[in-house]
Parts: sequence; C-alpha cells; structure tokens
Amino acid sequence: MTPLEQLEGFPTYLANNWDTVLELAIAHAIVVGVSIVIAGVVGVGLGCLTYRNQPARDAVLRVTGLFLTIPSLALYALLITIPGMGFGAKPVIVALTMYALLPIVRNTVTGLLGVDPAIVESALGMGLSRGQRLFRIELPLAWPVVLTGVRVSTLIIIGIAALGAILNGPGLGELIFDGLGRFGTPFALPIALSGFLGVVALGIVFDVFFNVVTRLTTSRGVR
Amino acid sequence: MTEAMIRLEQLTKRFPGQSEPAVEELSMEIPEGEIVVLVGPSGCGKTTTMKLINRIIEPSSGRIFLEGEDVTAADPDQLRRRIGYVIQQIGLFPHRTIHDNIATVPKLLGWSDDKIRARVDELLETVGLDPSRYRDRYPKELSGGQRQRVGVARALSADPPVMLMDEPFGAIDPITRDRLQNEFLRVQEDIRKTIVFVTHDIDEAIKMGDRIAILGERSVIAQYDRPEVILSQPADGFVEDFIGSGASLKRLNLARVRDYELGDWPTGRVDEERPTLLAKLRASDKGAILILDAEGRPQRWLRPRDLQRPDASLSDIGLVVEAKVEPQATLADALNELVRSRVGSAVVVDKSGVYAGTVDMDVIMTAAEAMRKAARADARASMDAESSAGQVR
Repeated sequence: MTPLEQLEGFPTYLANNWDTVLELAIAHAIVVGVSIVIAGVVGVGLGCLTYRNQPARDAVLRVTGLFLTIPSLALYALLITIPGMGFGAKPVIVALTMYALLPIVRNTVTGLLGVDPAIVESALGMGLSRGQRLFRIELPLAWPVVLTGVRVSTLIIIGIAALGAILNGPGLGELIFDGLGRFGTPFALPIALSGFLGVVALGIVFDVFFNVVTRLTTSRGVR
Repeated sequence: MTEAMIRLEQLTKRFPGQSEPAVEELSMEIPEGEIVVLVGPSGCGKTTTMKLINRIIEPSSGRIFLEGEDVTAADPDQLRRRIGYVIQQIGLFPHRTIHDNIATVPKLLGWSDDKIRARVDELLETVGLDPSRYRDRYPKELSGGQRQRVGVARALSADPPVMLMDEPFGAIDPITRDRLQNEFLRVQEDIRKTIVFVTHDIDEAIKMGDRIAILGERSVIAQYDRPEVILSQPADGFVEDFIGSGASLKRLNLARVRDYELGDWPTGRVDEERPTLLAKLRASDKGAILILDAEGRPQRWLRPRDLQRPDASLSDIGLVVEAKVEPQATLADALNELVRSRVGSAVVVDKSGVYAGTVDMDVIMTAAEAMRKAARADARASMDAESSAGQVR
C-alpha cells in the first residue's frame, strides 16, 4: 500500500475509533493540565520570591533554563531510575512540570519588573504592606505577561507529553508509537496521523482557552 | 506659629557608596495647617528630604516627629496611612477604577463600604469631578489634569492630617497647571492640611507656599520663611540667585485680586440707549465702557467711536472681553491679562461670571506700593523682636 492509499483509509479509521482517540486526547489534556497547574504555582511562586533579588533571580532562571535543555527522552529515562517513580503518569508529570517552569518564571519576573515604579512607589507611600503591594498591585498588573508564559509552557509540553507514551504515560503519544510499531501495515499511517492531529488540535484548544482566561482575568483598565 | 505638626531633628541620610550625605543634619518644624514648600536646585536633596518624612527612604540618623509623636521607629505602613502622598507621575493604579483607587487607604483601614462610597463621591466633588461620570472609569480614560485631581483625592481619602506632594503639577501643561494650582489652593482653604510640597520652580513655591524653605546642597536650609520675606529680604547670595531677577514682579504672585480695591470702569447694559452709554463714558476718565448682559456678565468694551456707529447692533461692535480673572487669582495673573487686553484693564468676574470690578495699572501700582510698605514694616518688626529676644536671654 502506498502512503496515499493509507491516507485514504484515515477517515474510515477515525470514524471507527473516534472514542479511543477522544479518550486518549482527554488523558493527554489532563496530564498537561495537572503539570501546568503545578508548574504555574511553583513558577509564579519562584518568580515572586526572587524578582527583587538579582542573584536569586539569575540562579532560578539558570536552573529552570537547564531543565529545558535536557532532551526529553533522556529525562524520561533518567526519571524511571528514581526509586518510587515507576512508569505511567507520575514521571511524565514530573518531567512536564520541569519543562514548563522556565517560561513561567521568566515571564513572572519580567512582568513584575515591568510594573511602572511610580505605581509601586505610590502604593508604598499609601501604606500598602509588602504582600498587599505584590498581590493587589504588582501581580494583577503583571498578570497578562504571566499568563503568556503559562500559555507558551503549555504549548511546549503538549508536544513533549506525547513522548511520555514510552513510559506508558497516558495520552495521544500511544497512537503515534502504535502507528510507528505497525510500520508497513495498512493502518500504520492513519493511527499515527490521528495521534499527531490530536496533539495539534489539543494545542489549538489550549490556546483558545488561554485567550479566554486572559480576557476574563485582566482588568479592563489595563487591556 | 502654631504647634509643629511635623518636626525633623538633625535628620541625615547617607546613601551607601556616596561620600557626601544626601541630607545633612536637617532640622525644621512644619506648622499645622500650612503649605511648606521645599524648593532648591536639582539634586539638592529636597525629594529625599520629603521621602524621609514618610520613611520611603529611611534616615541614617536623626528623628522625625508627627503630631508630637516620635515616628522614627514606628511601623512604616501604619505611619504612611496617616500621610497623604502625591507624586509627579501620580501613580494611579491602572487596573482599578477611580472609585477603587480613591478607596485604597480607607479599605486598608477597614471602613464600611457605605462610608467609603460616600467619601469617594465627596472627594470627587471636592476636586471638581462629577462622581456619577467618573467613579467607574479607569485611569487611562482620563486626561492628565483629571488624573492629577484623582491623585489628590486619593491622597486625601482617609483625611490624613499631613500631605506630602512631590512636584504634583510638574508633568502638566502650563495652562492646566495654573488652574489646578488655583483649585488646590481653594480646596486647601477648606481642608487646612499640613502640606509639604516639593518643587524646583520658585514661582510655584511663591504661589503655593505659606512658607518656603530654600534648600542648598545636602538639603541645608538657606532660608526658611514666609514668601514675602524671602522676596524682600533674601538671606544670602544663594537665595538671591535662586529667586532670580524680578522679585517685585514675583511679589505680585503673593497678592490676590480679592484683597485689593478694584478699579472702577464705567459699565452699561446691553439694552441701554447709545446716548446714555456715551454720556456715562464721557463722565468717566476712561477710554471705554464695559457692556454687561442681562445677568451682569461682561460682554464687550465699547470706545467712543464704536458708540458713534449707528448702523451696527451693540452686540457686534467694540472689543470682546477676553481678559477675565476670578477674585482668587493673583495680581500677577491679572497683570498678565491686563497686558494682553487692548483696553488696559482685566475684568474681574465672580464664579458665575458676573462682573465684580476691574484690575488696571493703578490697582497694580497701589498694591505694589502697599506690599513694599508692609514688607519694610515686617522687617523692622522682626528685627525688633530679635533684638528684644536677645536682651531677654
């Protein structure tokens, strides 16, 4: 069968297996969602703790930047050697969280440092405490930038999550590896293609989601 | 002098890595209910001095007293809630509505929502912004002048006894600045706050200040006195240079139109007959008659030759009255208008635009003479006081 003939079998495959594809897509979204929530809390937290202290800030950015340079297969391989980690969702979530940190920390720091010093000074002069200034003034003003970081991280880890299938991690990667494993058989391409297209579709869904969240959570005064 | 609201004792600020202190052993008393202007060349430490008061900059040594209480080591956030703060860039919170901006400190102090809403509306009225129109807007939807007013309202929100203002009108165009200064002085007449006001502009200092402290390097006080004294008796060459030339002209900034007897130009109503108007004009020694509308608002200046033109209606001939000032304007404002006017007289109108009198060259000259005499008498009195105080000691 030529690839073109296989491609013609794609609609049939999808029609017969859409429930499996959807199930895997949902599992994929959950793994990405859980990772991004953890990375969001940790990343924004690290950003808030370090943005006023240059050495600490640089250290955090360097370490999280280092995470992003580790090839994902190598990181997965490394993680399963850690006792108690095992296979499945757990090591995948740990890896994805590590990959998601840099854009979130970086944008949190950039956003907080980008707040007009006059606004911070007037808040200080009015007697807002350190925490009040951060949570009521600085973070809300940095928020659109922070969310952009979260969005970039999400798009990065959606792709990396697909590779998690080699650790038996849940998600659309299963279809891609399955298709590759059946190389030469009639359904190899349709299976792999449904996994690939599923990942792309998921990316678009997350992007739209973050657009809506940004709109809803940003004050009209700074839009 | 009433009891000092703010007292600074030997205040010094050294920034790390600088050999010279930014502020050195500054002691001064700021009396209750007055505007004290700190003025001096750039880099003299006037802004640093102001920020030492609410401890945005912590002093290296010395003490700060607020209402008699030593606040040098008090909780800075609590201290700052008692001190209104206005900076040049205003620093409104862009993500919050005008209401929420003004409500910031009352919320921190735990006021009820009803009380806060009433207070915000009251303050918006005070600074001349219609609450129903502006309350729910965001800062970006306001003009620079309006933002500045909101900044002042926000600083006043919790009714602090003290306000610090760092070049509050510095970033505003000259026309709006002048209006905002006048408005602020009017508001201050009612609220009587103790205000520390920083500027580098001696003219603004003379206009706004009940007292002026002229600061030299390291915030050393070159002279601290009432503006009229500083203008008539500068303490040294530095002060003299800083005031610049034209001290007598500057003194006109200290005098308000309402405090002087206004000039008397002939007036007529728009519905009066020409011969009557002409007769009134001839009976005076002036070159023009001022025509008022039915509500008494000045409309036009008519000269004899205008009145001799029978063809045109009274509302089309003569000169439109352009030079107008309000009673709280300074004589300097009036002089400026007067020079602009082709008749040689600035018309004084009250708040609703009704004619109240005129300021002409005679009025200015009489006022200048009176001020000169008063300054001389003041100087003599203070010298007498000093010498008698010396004898007691």
